[in-house]
Order: sequence, then structure tokens, then C-alpha cells
Amino acid sequence: MSYFNVKDKIEEIKSTLNSSVDFSSRLYKKDNQILGFIFLKSIIDQTLFSSAVYFPLQMYNSKITIEGLKNDILKCVDIKEIKEKDIIKEILDGKLIIVTNFSKKILSIDLLKFPTRIPSEPPTSPVIQGPREGFVEDLQTNITLLRRRIKTKELVMEVLRVGSQTQTKVCITYIKGIANKKIVKEVKEKIKNIKIDGILDSYNILTYLENRPGSLFKQIGNTEKPDIVTSKMLEGKVAIIVDNSPIVLTVPFIFIEDLQNSNDYYTNHHYSSFVRVIRLLGLLIALISPGFYLALQLYHYNILPLNFLITIADTTQGLPFTPFLEILFIFLLFQILYEVSLRLPSYLGLATSVVGALILGDTGVKAGLISPPGVIIVALSKIALYTIPEQAPQITVLQLIFIILGGSLGLIGLISGLVYIINYLNNFDSFKTPYLAPYSPRIPQDLKDATFMEPVYSMRQRPKAFSPEKKERL
Amino acid sequence: MKKISIRQCGVIIVMCIFANKILLMPSLMYQQTSADSIFVLLTLFLLDFAMLPIFIKLKENYPNKKLYDILRDKLGKVVTKIIYFAMLCFFFFKCLLVFSVTYVYFKQQIYQDEFIFLALIAFLPVINHATISGIRAFSRTIELFFGVVIAGFVVCLAISLFTPISTPYFFVSSAKDFFLSLYNHVFAFGDFIILFLIMDRIEIKKGQTKKLFFFALFAIILVVSLFYLFYAKYQITAFMHNNALADLLVFSVQFNAIGRLDIIAMLTIMFITLFQMEIFSYAFCDCFVNIFPLLNKNYSVVIFDILFCILYYVFIGRYETMVTSALYWLPYLAIAINYILPIILLVILIIRRQKIEKKDKNFI
Amino acid sequence: MKRKIKILFKMPMLIVFIIILLFFTPFAIYSPGESRNRGVVTALGIDKIDEEYEISLLTFIPTANQSYQEKSSVISGKGGSVAEAIYNAQIAMGRSVGLSHAKTTVVNEKLLEEDVASSIDYLSRVASLPENTVFVCTNKTAKEILESSKDLISNLGLKLEQVIGYNANNLYVTDTSLEAFYKGYFSPTKSSLIGYLTIEDEKTRKEENSEISNSQDSGSTQTQSSQKNSDSSSNSNNSEAGLKQIVNQGQAVLLKNGKKVALLDVEQLNGINILNPKSINQIITVDGIEKDEQTISLQYKIKTKKTLISSKFENGYPIYNAQLILGVELVEINGVENSLKVNTEFSNVTDEIAEKIEQKIKEQFTNSINILRDCDADVLGIARQFFFHNRKEFVRFLNKIGGQEAVSQFIDYVVFKLNVVVEPD
Repeated sequence: MSYFNVKDKIEEIKSTLNSSVDFSSRLYKKDNQILGFIFLKSIIDQTLFSSAVYFPLQMYNSKITIEGLKNDILKCVDIKEIKEKDIIKEILDGKLIIVTNFSKKILSIDLLKFPTRIPSEPPTSPVIQGPREGFVEDLQTNITLLRRRIKTKELVMEVLRVGSQTQTKVCITYIKGIANKKIVKEVKEKIKNIKIDGILDSYNILTYLENRPGSLFKQIGNTEKPDIVTSKMLEGKVAIIVDNSPIVLTVPFIFIEDLQNSNDYYTNHHYSSFVRVIRLLGLLIALISPGFYLALQLYHYNILPLNFLITIADTTQGLPFTPFLEILFIFLLFQILYEVSLRLPSYLGLATSVVGALILGDTGVKAGLISPPGVIIVALSKIALYTIPEQAPQITVLQLIFIILGGSLGLIGLISGLVYIINYLNNFDSFKTPYLAPYSPRIPQDLKDATFMEPVYSMRQRPKAFSPEKKERL
Repeated sequence: MKKISIRQCGVIIVMCIFANKILLMPSLMYQQTSADSIFVLLTLFLLDFAMLPIFIKLKENYPNKKLYDILRDKLGKVVTKIIYFAMLCFFFFKCLLVFSVTYVYFKQQIYQDEFIFLALIAFLPVINHATISGIRAFSRTIELFFGVVIAGFVVCLAISLFTPISTPYFFVSSAKDFFLSLYNHVFAFGDFIILFLIMDRIEIKKGQTKKLFFFALFAIILVVSLFYLFYAKYQITAFMHNNALADLLVFSVQFNAIGRLDIIAMLTIMFITLFQMEIFSYAFCDCFVNIFPLLNKNYSVVIFDILFCILYYVFIGRYETMVTSALYWLPYLAIAINYILPIILLVILIIRRQKIEKKDKNFI
Repeated sequence: MKRKIKILFKMPMLIVFIIILLFFTPFAIYSPGESRNRGVVTALGIDKIDEEYEISLLTFIPTANQSYQEKSSVISGKGGSVAEAIYNAQIAMGRSVGLSHAKTTVVNEKLLEEDVASSIDYLSRVASLPENTVFVCTNKTAKEILESSKDLISNLGLKLEQVIGYNANNLYVTDTSLEAFYKGYFSPTKSSLIGYLTIEDEKTRKEENSEISNSQDSGSTQTQSSQKNSDSSSNSNNSEAGLKQIVNQGQAVLLKNGKKVALLDVEQLNGINILNPKSINQIITVDGIEKDEQTISLQYKIKTKKTLISSKFENGYPIYNAQLILGVELVEINGVENSLKVNTEFSNVTDEIAEKIEQKIKEQFTNSINILRDCDADVLGIARQFFFHNRKEFVRFLNKIGGQEAVSQFIDYVVFKLNVVVEPD
């Protein structure tokens, strides 16, 4: 009695997979028992296949049964029985499928292997002292990295599949009993409702998670470092790991998270507080200094000290542009240089920085096209931008807005703009968490990890802003 | 219902107490009662302060009820709407007065030319946005900037100590002037009325009421010390200086080397003005929505904008006219809102208590 | 289209961004900037010539060099009033006048013949003019002062307000600003004190130079403008300007009702400031000390000064009690050979010296009080002291001598009792 015509089955699957180049199959005949191995050779560990599957089978002399295969013959860890309709999916996931003519059961063996990176220090968040591991593209490795850090039975990892074509695995990770149930539920629902053909990176699902899609501001946290994810999960956040992406998303996100850097926790807290003040100052300078300079020059010359006014008046005298155009010009120049230096290979990057900084800047000033104070102000704001590199895209856009506001309305415009933005941010809560907490609304206990940081031992409670289920850390 | 915390409520109160008092009023008062204006100020503050216990009692008795509902239940729909209309006017003119006083300051000190167009364009969208996004959003914003504003205010006061100051003359004006001054400036007070209006939005936990007193007292102390330092610094020429908070920073010879320090006052005043306008515009829209419950809240914002522009351009325009015309009839409105309304509420409270006592007796 | 508009309205932030971009950008693009539109005035001079006002504005001229030095020129305009004159100067300048950086206001002595407050009414109304602008008076025209002040910058690196500021801090000890003037002007006694700058031609300077340097306790700073500044540009072509120079003798003008009533020299100013604890830049000369049959004179510098002031009415008359505690330091000995040897002896203040110092100070004080009495100008705030501490009696006394109006004469009736204690430093 034969359950499968193995050859036909292989042909059927082959045609379903459009006779793909990497499609492989192998028949094993012993007596009248026929076993068919079906796999994609591109994502299968072929040495493991021969040593753990084929070789033991050849050495086996008795009658082969499915139970025998599972328990005795095959020297693999992950063997399971699957249904017929799942064959294609399993093959695409890098499994070896075994069909036989003596049983209707189909076996799937995990032999997945493809080239992966080893965890290395991510370029986006280097640390001076502290762990240097970073996530990689492989979901399994990433889960390993997390599991190594959180050794509790409460660590929940749920995998969902997203993308009709790519069938990407999306893993929702949180610590049960700490993460707020409502937030977990909301995240799950949002991910389930994603209708898309392919997910290439975690950024693809990021837009689906946002409460206000289309907003300029960052609403979902992201990091490449397992230690950061761990600490965030301990605060009661939910992490979302997407296969094929080294970027892990965390929700809910509040603004102050970008002010905090993993370095802060690995150095003296006094120094960390100082650095955070500098970052905040840098943010403010980056945001308004070009606009402020323009406002002073265009509308409020009277509040400039006389000596400063003399410098500005002398340097801007005879420029062909109006002040606004001048600042805009320098701003765009810097932005173009930045883009170029980012995209070019490093050996060419040096050349562009020489051309950009020396030739364009210096000659521009000497030729009387731009003024030195203008260059200094824009350069200052551009450098200050990278005190909080995570916020750089948003702030760059806002810089432009503030340049326009300062140039057209003066100081009033700047202040109004600032109040407007803060008002706007106060009005959008990402996953029911106030965006500007712990400052507005003021949450005194969360202030311990805000600008003025307190030592770690005093942070006995989890941040109230994320409304964790268990408030005490112990 | 989005509620605000007691701290946010206190911050709103501080902003209201600053409204209309820190720029023009010290010099206006000085013309009438010279340095005795401080007593005028204290008297008016004391009258205001008496409202706070009424509010707290009312809140205790009706923890989640709107003022509109309380009044409607006791006084009927028509009377309530009339009261609300009066409040609408009250807050609207407060907003307008804040804007005009600050506008004059901006015109004199910051912008050299006319710039009303700019000021309206810069302010109105922000205020409208704040009004639409609701009290929780903008009270959080004020909370965020509260430290900055208070720091600016205190720095202004502190720097004035570096200039020669001497105790101003007291007890020089007559009783008549004193009462006239009380009457003339009553419109700038009545800051706790806003609390009654937003009473259903405030979340007061047990034992937090004293926080509210603390905030109010803090703001009052700041304003009184501003008046005192201003008079101590300028003495006889106080009437020449129309922007008290900013003028405290000028004339500091010691700091001349740094440049013009009044930018501190300037930024502080800008923030304070914006927040005050947000609060008053919200109050206006809240009254409006209650009077015309069928209309969308967004309409009230549009109507606020239109009224604001028209009144500013057509009727008032010049700030002297604004102030003098305000002196003619606004005090009546202010007295009605500031003092009569709380008294009505007090009566309501007393009646309620008597009823409860009666009920208790019946049970026995 | 309709859907797109609906989406837009769901995002008010976006709408505002678009509005900003669309409407404001052109606004900003075409604005050339205030600093280019305005003539930044750093000093202001007012003269009166034949019932006509002449305003001189020391204006900063931006130049496209990168030396960042203040380069100024004086632009003037005439008119029937100050406002008109400034308007005319504005026409001459081709820019609008920006007064917010005006650190100095100079007026001609002639303006002080009438109520100066009415002449400079415009200045009190211009909000952009800072109140702490220095307000001084000069013997020549204000224009000449401004012209010469340009050389101050190029030769000594000094600005006009720094010269006056030195005086204000060390000699008048009171502010000589517009605000201080108004404070005095609106006070009940209507008297104020403002600085005085003299300007002299080269010839007269040579004659008087010796005089000035002989005058022992003149704290005057003398700032000269040399004629050699041929390198500076067209401004110094004005031959007159090269010859003029500002001589700062530390004088001050006493104003009553906005009119000049007296010109006080350094000695008299020191007398007025005797009771001012901040005024310690003063040298006291003690003559006629007998030492080994030689008459020597000693000079002491006041190092510390404390004052205790009290006021009372006795027998219906106001009594002003002042105790002055001085810490002095010997700075010079004259009239003795080998003066360095006797140095130690006199650094201790003996009773004799103390008595002489006291006498000297009382003399100075009496002189100054007499001047104030003559002018009915109570710049010391004597009446204020009585008003504060003895109000009832003060008011009664005022009614006796002629009511509220007589507050200026009050100083005539006050009995001053000065007690000087000299402590060695």
C-alpha cells in the first residue's frame, strides 16, 4: 500500500516552485521503501544533510518507519510532522522535507543555513565602555542575544508572519507581568492588520505601528543593541524584532529616550547628567540658532550688543544676497555636503570634506558671497544636531522651518513655533504614553532618569510613563 | 474626559495671575496712587484669594460636574446662558487686553515698525491650535515651559537689585484715589474664575488642595515683588516706564558690558503672553460651546479669530483707546464676574449644605 | 482631490507648514535686514542755534572690510524741534535713525538756559532710546564733541561713554543718565545733576594745561586727540576737528527745573559727595603740620568710608546728623627733605591730623551745602530723609514755611551736624 507516489510528489512540488534553480530532490530506495528528500539547496546546510540525514539512513539496516526516522535514524534536533499543505512554506523556510511511500506523514527537518554576520558593534551606537554586541540580520541570532540577557520564564516571544510574498517573521517580545497588557494587545493587533506584500526591514512595519502616521516626529524607538532592548523591556516596553533586520523596534516611545544614551549608564552619573544637559543644549542650539540669528539680523538689531552688531554689519555689507537667502544657501550647502559624505566611500569622503570645508566655505567668504558669522551659525547648528543623532532627521526639517519663521516673523515667530511644536507633541500620545514625559506632564519619579540623572540604585521603580504592570523593579 | 493634574492647574493659575499685571499696570497705577498702588494690588489680590476656598468647596461638593450644569440646575437655562455670555466677554477682553499691552511692548522694544500683521499671524494659529487640542495639551505645554518662565521672571527681579534702589514713599495718596484705583484696575483681576470654568477637568486628589494655594501665593508674591522693585527702582519716574518687567532690566549700568539684557524679559514676556492668550481663548471657546451646544468647537475658534481681528482693527486699534475705553465699562463686567458670580456659587453651596443637613435630620 | 484635501485637514501641522512656506518665505527673502536699513546711532548731540535745533548723530557706518572697528561719521540735521531735526538728519543719512544703541546724549549749555526737559521731550517719548543713555552737557556745541569723540576711538581706543562713565563712577558718583536727570527733574525739589564736558582748542589747551596739572586734587582724566592721525580717512580732513579736544575736568552742572543754576568743579562735587559712601576717589590735603621746625603738608587718600545718618526735629527745627567714618592712607608728603624717612611717622593718624582732616572736610561740605542752598537744589535728598523718618514734623514744618511748594527751600532751614572720625587704614 503506497501513500505517496514519491516521484510524482517531487515533480508536483518542483512545478509549484517553478522549477527553481536551487530546487533539489533526492530519492532513497531500500527494498520497496522509497524516501524522497525535497529542499532548496541554497538555504540548506548540505554537509549536515549528508552527515545527519543521508549517512545514518544508509547505515540503517532494519525496516524504516516514520517513528524510527524521527527517534533513531535522523541525527537532527528539530524534526516535526507537517501537513501536506504546508510543504511549500516549510521548504521556503529552509526545511528538508521527507515524503515516503509507506506513510502519509510528512517530516520536516530544520537544516536552515545561510550566510550571517557575527554580532559586532553597530556603527550607529558605539560605546566607550560597555557591551559591544549588536543585533544582526538573523532573527534566530537576535533572539539568542536577548535570551542570553533575560533568563526568566516570563520572557515572551511571539512570532507573526507579515507580508504576503516575503512571509517575514516578526517577533513580538516582552516580559510578561511587566509590560502593559493593553500595549501588547495594541501592538499585536496593529501587526496583524498589516496588509503588505513584503517587509524588507523593520522600518517597513514602523509606519504601521505609529499612532499618527505621516507625522514628522519619531514615534517608535529603534536600536541595534541587545543591552538597550533589554533595559527597555525591563522598563515595560514591547520589543519588535523583524527577521532580516538588525534594527529592533521598541514601543511606546517617548522623546527623552533619545536623550538617554547607553553610555550614560556605563559611566558616572554626574558626568552623565552633564552630558545630558549638553545634549539638550545642543538640541536647542541646533533647532533655533540659524532662525534666531536671522531674526536678530532682520528685525531685532536693537537688542544685539553694539560690538556684535558692528561685526555683523561689517561682514554682511556688500553681500549680494539678503540675509535670509544667505543662511538658506549655507544651510543647503551643508546639507548637500552631509549627504555626499554619507553616501560616498570613505576614501572619497575625505576629498569632499576638503572641497566642502576649505574651498567652498573659505572661498565663499573671501569672494563675498557668504559672511563668516552666517557660516559659523549654520555650522554650529549642524554640529549641535549630532549631539542627538537619533533626532537628526526631524530636527533638520525643523531647522528649515525655524529659519523661515525667524526670517519672516522674527523672535515672535520662533517662540510661537516652539510653543506650537510642544503643544503638538503634547497632544499626541504614542501608545497612551505622554510624549514629553516626564517633563510634561511632570512625573517626579521618572525625573531620576531624565536630564539630571540619579545613580542606578536609586531608580527602584520602573518609569511610570509606560504604565508597567509591576511598578517596583524588585 | 481628559483631565489635568493639580500641578497643571496651578501653573494655569500662575499664568492668569501674571496676566495684564506685569507690563503696563504698575505704571498706570502709579499715576493714580503712586507707591500706594502696592496696597491696591494687595487688596485686589486678597479679594481674589477669597475665591479659592469657594472653588475648593464647590469642587468637593460637585467633584465631576460642570459649572454650566450646576448653574443650570439652580438658576435655569436662560440665566446660566447670560452668565456664560458675560464670562465669554470677560475672557475675550482679557485676551484682547493681554495682546494689546504686549503688542505695544513689542512694538516699542523689539520690532521697530508696525507689525500687527506679523503678530496676529504668529499668535493666532498657535492659540487656535492650543484651543482645539484641548486643555490637557496646552496645560502640559505651560507646565513644560513653567520653569523657564519663572526663571526668567526671577532673573528680571534679581538683576534689578544690582541697580540703586530705595524704599518708595508710602501713604501719600488719598482714600478716594485708592478706591478709584481699585475700581479702575479690577478688570485685570479675577484670575480664579478660570478655575470655576474648568472645574470638571481638574483632578484633585486628597490633600492636594494646598498645592493650589501654594501656586497662587507664589505668583502673587512674584507680582507684588515686581511692583515693589519697580517702584523702588524708578520711584518718581515710574509713570514713564510702561513695561515694568522689561524696564527692570534696563538701566543696569553694571551689566552694560554684556549688552542688552532685556532679551531675558522679552522671551519671558513672549511665553507668558502666548500662554495667557491660550488660556483665555480656551475659556472663550468653552463658554461659546456651552452657549451654543449645537455648534462644533472649531466654529468657536473661527469666531474667536474673526472677533479678535475685527475688534483689534476697527474698535480698538490704538492701545490708549483700548485702555481708556476699558476703564469706562469693563470694570462693571469685571465686578459682575469676579465677585458676584462667586457669591452666587457660595449661596448655592450654603443652600446645598442646609438641604443635606435637613436630610440628615430627617434620617434621625 | 477631495480625499487629498480631507487628509490635509486631518493634519493641521502640515497645513501650518505649508502656509509658512507659501506665505512667509517671500516675505523673508526680500527683507534686506534692519541693520542695513537703519543708521545705527551711537551718540546723539543737541544744539540750539538761533531758535533752531541742530541734531548731530554719531552714526556707525558699516564697511565691507573685516577689521571690525567702529567707523563712524557725524550726520546732522536742523529743525524747529528735536523731532523735526532728527527727521531732517534722517533724510541726510538716507536711512532711518535707529537710536537703540545711542549710549550718549550731549546737549549744549545753551539748551540749559531754558527748561531742557521741554527741549528733549522727544527723547523721553522715543521708546527705542535706552534710558541708561549717558546725558551730559558741554560748553561748546554738541556737534564738536561728537566730532572729537571720533578721534578718541582711533587714538585712545576710548569711547565717549567710557570717558564719561569714568567720571560718573569716580567723581559724580551719581548716574548722569537721562533717567537720573528725569528722576531729579520730577522729584519735589526738581533738581538734578548732570555731567559737564569741556572742549578746548589747541591753543587754549596749552595755556591751561599747566594750570590743570598743578591743581592737586583734580581727578580729571584728560584725553587728548593728537593731530598726527593723518592715516585715518576723510573724517580727519576736517581741520577743526583735529584741533579740538575733549577735556574732561570732572565738572558737573546743577540743574533746577531743568535750568542750569551752577557749574560745580571737582572740589565742590567732592563736597556734595562727602556723605556718599561710594565716593572714595578723593585726596585730602592737610597743610601746616609742624615737624622739626618745618611746615609740611600731607596728602591722604580716602580708602574706606562709612556714613551714619539720622535726622530729627528739635524745637521745631530740622537737624541733620551725619557721622562719617573715614579710613585714610598717606600718599604724599610735601615740604620736607628726605620725605621718605618720615613716611612711617605720619601713617598713623594723630589727633592733630584727624582734626585737620575733619576741619577740611567740614569746610568742603559747608561750601557745597551753601551752593545747594543758594540754588534751592536739594540733590542730596535731605528733604527725602526727613520725609521718610520724621514725616509728621516734616509736613508740619513745610506748612509753616510755605506749604508743599517750599520743599525746595527746606534745605535752607536744616541744621547740619557733621561728625568725622578718621581711622588709619
